[in-house]
Amino acid sequence: MEYIYAIAILMALYVILATSFNFIIGYGGLISIAHPVFYALGAYSSALLARDMGVPVFLAIPAGGLIALIASVAVALPSLRISGDYLLIASIGFQLGILELIKNLPWTGGSGGLTNIPSFLTQTAGREAYVAFAVAAAIGSVLLLRWIAQGPYGRAMSAMRDDELAFAALGRNAMTMKIAIFALGSSLAGLAGGIYVHYFRFIAPGQFDILQSSALLTMVVVGGLRSTWGPIVGAIALEALPQAITFVNLPPSVLGPLQGILFTSLVLIFMFVRPQGLIAASERWHGRNEEVRDARRA
Amino acid sequence: MFSLPILAQIMWTSLATSTCSVLFALAFALVLKVNRVFNFAQAAMMTVGFYAAFTVVGLANGPAWLGFAAAIVASVAMAILLEIFGFRVLRRRRASSMFVFIFALVVSELVAYLVMLVFGTWPATIFPSLFWPVTLVGPVAVSQWDVPALAATIVAVAAVFGFLRYSRAGQFMIAVADNPDLAEFYGIAKDRIHLITMIVAGLLTGLAMFLYGSRAQVQPMASIELLLFAIAATIIGGIGNLGGTVLTAVVLGIVQNASVLFIPSEWQGFLLYIFLFLAIVFFPKGIRLPERRLTRTAPAPSLIADEPEGA
Amino acid sequence: MLAGLEVTNLSKRFGGIVVADAIDLTVPSGRIVGLIGPNGAGKTSFFNLVSGVVPPDAGRIVLDGKNMTDLKMPQRARLGLARTWQNLRLFPSLSVLDNLLIGARDYPGERLATLVFQPGRIRRTGKAERLKALEVLERTGLAGIADTEIANVPFGQQKLIGVARALMNDPRCLLLDEPMAGVEGHAYRAIQKVVRGLAESGVAVCVVEHNVAFIRDLCDEGVFMFAGKVLARGDVESLVADPRLTELYFGT
Repeated sequence: MEYIYAIAILMALYVILATSFNFIIGYGGLISIAHPVFYALGAYSSALLARDMGVPVFLAIPAGGLIALIASVAVALPSLRISGDYLLIASIGFQLGILELIKNLPWTGGSGGLTNIPSFLTQTAGREAYVAFAVAAAIGSVLLLRWIAQGPYGRAMSAMRDDELAFAALGRNAMTMKIAIFALGSSLAGLAGGIYVHYFRFIAPGQFDILQSSALLTMVVVGGLRSTWGPIVGAIALEALPQAITFVNLPPSVLGPLQGILFTSLVLIFMFVRPQGLIAASERWHGRNEEVRDARRA
Repeated sequence: MFSLPILAQIMWTSLATSTCSVLFALAFALVLKVNRVFNFAQAAMMTVGFYAAFTVVGLANGPAWLGFAAAIVASVAMAILLEIFGFRVLRRRRASSMFVFIFALVVSELVAYLVMLVFGTWPATIFPSLFWPVTLVGPVAVSQWDVPALAATIVAVAAVFGFLRYSRAGQFMIAVADNPDLAEFYGIAKDRIHLITMIVAGLLTGLAMFLYGSRAQVQPMASIELLLFAIAATIIGGIGNLGGTVLTAVVLGIVQNASVLFIPSEWQGFLLYIFLFLAIVFFPKGIRLPERRLTRTAPAPSLIADEPEGA
Repeated sequence: MLAGLEVTNLSKRFGGIVVADAIDLTVPSGRIVGLIGPNGAGKTSFFNLVSGVVPPDAGRIVLDGKNMTDLKMPQRARLGLARTWQNLRLFPSLSVLDNLLIGARDYPGERLATLVFQPGRIRRTGKAERLKALEVLERTGLAGIADTEIANVPFGQQKLIGVARALMNDPRCLLLDEPMAGVEGHAYRAIQKVVRGLAESGVAVCVVEHNVAFIRDLCDEGVFMFAGKVLARGDVESLVADPRLTELYFGT
């Protein structure tokens, strides 16, 4: 049973990660691979706050999200000032740099990982409650981002992706919008990190490396950029797939690379054969129903 | 603080060690300048180059020259594959720059995982020993690796600059870099130029990886980090300015290697990220030196923002 | 203070090419000024400099007494500067109505903070902006295609949408870049009517156009540009009649 719970929580967390990553690369048109690092930042911050500073977990988790948000603005602000190309470079540097930092700092547990992290909910309300908590967070994130994407903000994001120059000439600041998108997406990843860490109670820098980046990229690209269901399907399918492989009982030295090969080759195959992903998003922006209805009535 | 001989020794060793970085950076900067692609797939070229040499020399005990040839052939073959089946297809399809980025990065990762599966994750070296016999030149110990590496790098860099300046294909490359549409107008086959650029980058990468792998350990993911160094040098040197990139790579290489004097060695690797950060925050357009007409600088390829239309 | 657009000593060079050479030009509020000149005279570059696409090397750009020289493009737009583009630059993934809504001056719904904290305000302004967009569509004769995708709209009407989108900003100054190229019939007359109405309501209008007949019909005066310089200014008839300018126009 515990195994099932763990899988359910992981799936819920990957739904949050893939959906928020889709918000950044699909809706924002921003290229970054550092999403796992914001996940890591949320996880480490929340764990350290709760373990070493005595912050209650229900406050530590949002604080982790906040720290991820601040870090994401710090990455996006200087790099987006120049051009979108620099964000990708900055994100690679940031990902490897932060992991290097975690490995070497005296108070993060180093490469060996951080242990003894306080648990949350499971002692008082049972593991089922934690599953419900994670699933609720996933549903909440999906609904929030969908609500934003279908409202006036989504319309503006579409316009920005279509033509940044025309967008700016109409008084819109594309840079502010991109930073806001990046910050919102990254803070959700940070929240997911907090939720992860107080259930599994152990983290190590190796869990957030480039393999994670390619896994998330795969979930979004294979699932379908800019669709609501695409990243969800991608996250659940690609979380289940490696689990299935683990049943084959391969040694970890083979399993890791095999997963990596699976993720990366799936991305490549989809990019060239079916670039729109499993669930294709419409080329045209569609607003929420009430918006359309309002427009008709008016 | 430090005695002169120690300083001289460190300067010499750092200079010699920076040779590989120079070649990586030049390959990256060249592809960016001419093909207007941030070629993250260069890491894949580096990885196959190294493991080809490793297979021939380290595993099969073949001669060094054969290992060198293997590195070159593997890197160039990878470059050709990438260009023909990757970048060219995406270019024809007018894929968004995000797609090109993801492609290049994911190919590098895929190659790294394949190599992990075949060779394992442990660091490997081309030759059984990383130690090279040393000759004392005055107070400075010069290893048998240093001189050939420096010579090979100088020859390679000179060859690239000479190629760009004097060969017809090289001049076409500069023309395409300066204005791709105009170049097409004059009947320069862009596809061929893009391919030649990738081949030159493959040659540089193969050479550099053979040099690097004969004095340092390499593991499957190492190339991606090595590549970041090349990117930092390219940005600080000024995108499109190959001479600037080479100079920056030398300086950064020396600083990084000489940093053992000032910071604990486990933080030495971290310096790279500081370079990258400084490059993006303070020198996004490169350090501007007084304009000399040695290498022409092309405008930074802004793949995302639209270029303003002319009058 | 002069109401309208006031440009002094505007200069810009790209490498060796001078696209703006100490341009002095005023477009008073309520007037329609046409820019005439051969290709490469620097007309579109002038628009790009004024709207903030590229920063000038020197000079001053003032709208209604407010110095905009150091402002970025979005800020200039918010001070009431609107423009259209030679190649339209409409948003293909949005419907006609949504294209207009991106031009609206007040847009709380496009800020994440307001989205969370003041949903009521978004609903109110959203409704007001939609009404306004429909009114502008009505005025430009586009009301029937509000829900249509841009790709399914004929070219002439697309030009009209570009103008309509610029109107959503209630501009104080409107820069029209070749509004008539490839346009005829209904759309032609509609654009003419809309632009004239704007000028009457006090907007400063500047038009780049190769169609001399249109310039003659519409503009209060003309400005002849050549090689990044303003060579002559006066009523359109006399500019067109000037043999020296005609020589420059067709001689290159």
